[in-house]
Amino acid sequence: MFSKILIANRGEIALRVIRACKEMGIRTVAVYSEADRNSSHVRFADEAVCIGRASSKESYLNIPAIISAAEITDVSAIHPGYGFLSENAHFAEICESCHIKFIGPSPESIRKMGDKIVAKETVRKMGVPLTPGSDGIIKTQDAALKIAQKIKYPVIIKAVAGGGGKGMRVCHNDVTLINSFKMAQTEAEANFGLGDVYIEKYIEGPRHVEFQILADEHGNVIHLGERDCSVQRRHQKLLEESPSPALDANLRKKMGDAAVKAAKAVNYHGVGTIEFLLDMHNNFYFMEMNTRIQVEHPVTEMVTGIDLIKEQIKIAMGQKMKLKQEEVKFRGHSIECRVNAEDPYNNFIPSPGKIMELNLPGGPGVRIDTHIYPGYTISPYYDSMVAKLIVHGRDRNEAVRIMRRALDEFYIAPIKTTIPLHMEILNHPTFLEGKATTHFLEKMMKNE
Amino acid sequence: MNLKEIKEIINLMNDNNLNEIEIEREGLKLKLKKSSEGGLVMGTPTHYAVESLPSPKAMPSTPPSTGSGEASKNSKDIKSPMVGTFYRSPSPEAESFVEIGQTVEIGQVVCIVEAMKLMNEIKSEVRGKITEVAVQNAEPVEFGQTLFVVDPVA
Repeated sequence: MFSKILIANRGEIALRVIRACKEMGIRTVAVYSEADRNSSHVRFADEAVCIGRASSKESYLNIPAIISAAEITDVSAIHPGYGFLSENAHFAEICESCHIKFIGPSPESIRKMGDKIVAKETVRKMGVPLTPGSDGIIKTQDAALKIAQKIKYPVIIKAVAGGGGKGMRVCHNDVTLINSFKMAQTEAEANFGLGDVYIEKYIEGPRHVEFQILADEHGNVIHLGERDCSVQRRHQKLLEESPSPALDANLRKKMGDAAVKAAKAVNYHGVGTIEFLLDMHNNFYFMEMNTRIQVEHPVTEMVTGIDLIKEQIKIAMGQKMKLKQEEVKFRGHSIECRVNAEDPYNNFIPSPGKIMELNLPGGPGVRIDTHIYPGYTISPYYDSMVAKLIVHGRDRNEAVRIMRRALDEFYIAPIKTTIPLHMEILNHPTFLEGKATTHFLEKMMKNE
Repeated sequence: MNLKEIKEIINLMNDNNLNEIEIEREGLKLKLKKSSEGGLVMGTPTHYAVESLPSPKAMPSTPPSTGSGEASKNSKDIKSPMVGTFYRSPSPEAESFVEIGQTVEIGQVVCIVEAMKLMNEIKSEVRGKITEVAVQNAEPVEFGQTLFVVDPVA
């Protein structure tokens, strides 16, 4: 049993972990930057240590400061939350060498799944379906044409060093491919300093469907169902739900089994998420694995009744998982809206500042995970998410009604938030019909 | 800034038909604004406030740490630049680096903060007299925590 845990994070997730620890009788240590002195997670932890200046580099990414804080407070374990150091294999190793338990997977698992190409190769060997594509870098136009013929159009040319949706070109035939290939290489060189490109099949109208994995340190791996996270803007999730409107029990079993296989391929332990792309014909392809707890984990908690943070901590304590796959039951429908301090009608410009008025929604079926309070100042140093509004209903229709009602009650002033945007989404026919793909939000915003 | 300088600025404004001028430098912020009736309205000079002017040489511009229970009385106190354990001397048998009443120079080693088994020598960034040792030997310290209260010497 851990006597004390240090939470190497901030904001709502730090508070989330502290809550789980309190219920388990584990003492908590919060670390904070100078900008977070008045933060909720600092107030609610048993102990708190200031670790540096506001910038993430000097605080929440500052490994020596965090390890030092863990030493002076004599903790048994560190929970890294999400983001920051949660998928930093080096940090996990340092924790190990300092005899502090890192609440997460092994450094090797983190490394393997952190490298996109290695991850794909690793799961491919277990028979997990991947997006068809080139095995490595495509150097010539001829090679490009060859691979396109093999995997069939449409294809997408991606920069090896690219990211954030940049440096990608979709081609529907040989002519466009020939025209785009050299340009893609030049663009890659100009934008990322590396002209290497590779080619993948372009999945049309994909949904982003991810599976929650739970694995103990004794080889037991199960999945806790899926989350549909297709409502995205620039590859950032805005809304998530479970179950996915696109899955039936059959497809869920197929994808769930593949997810478990992928996790087993790296001897995973802890919580993790396998991300798939699902196309219009119900073909699914492994994209990547996130080796940490995710922002949208409450959605899974609501439909399964399982506290993922507590499970994470129990697994880290070496406990054997008692839950069997057949025992996992899904009940009702859950939706989560990420509320960000941004102005959605002004190019999502960040809206930091002091919260003067706050009314949080409540009532049956409503859960709020947030660190904000009236008088709290949202600083500009960190990400803009201020709250997660999660609802649970007997079915999707009820969940939608509850979410609309809850969004209506949710009042924050004077900062701007994405609440009105969520209201739009929850009233849009495409979303209501359960037909939203990753193109949905962009299309919705263009039609304004 | 003296009255002569301020009068010069006012003349400058009149000569060039300026309605408003704002001047900022260490120790002073001055705003002169012509009122709509034509007269000049003088803004009040503000003192150098720790929380408003981000001068690169100043101490961290946030409320001082209260880790040891001692509030920092001025920005010249020696604060910990890291998290760790505070030691007054280089080793248990040795003498303390500094004592109360002692004058320290900029760059002088005043204590050790141990972090991850490494002994880090903490150097003073100010010149002055140590009036208080704010932390007990072998006590943990956090970032920004006051270690020594210093009376700055001109």
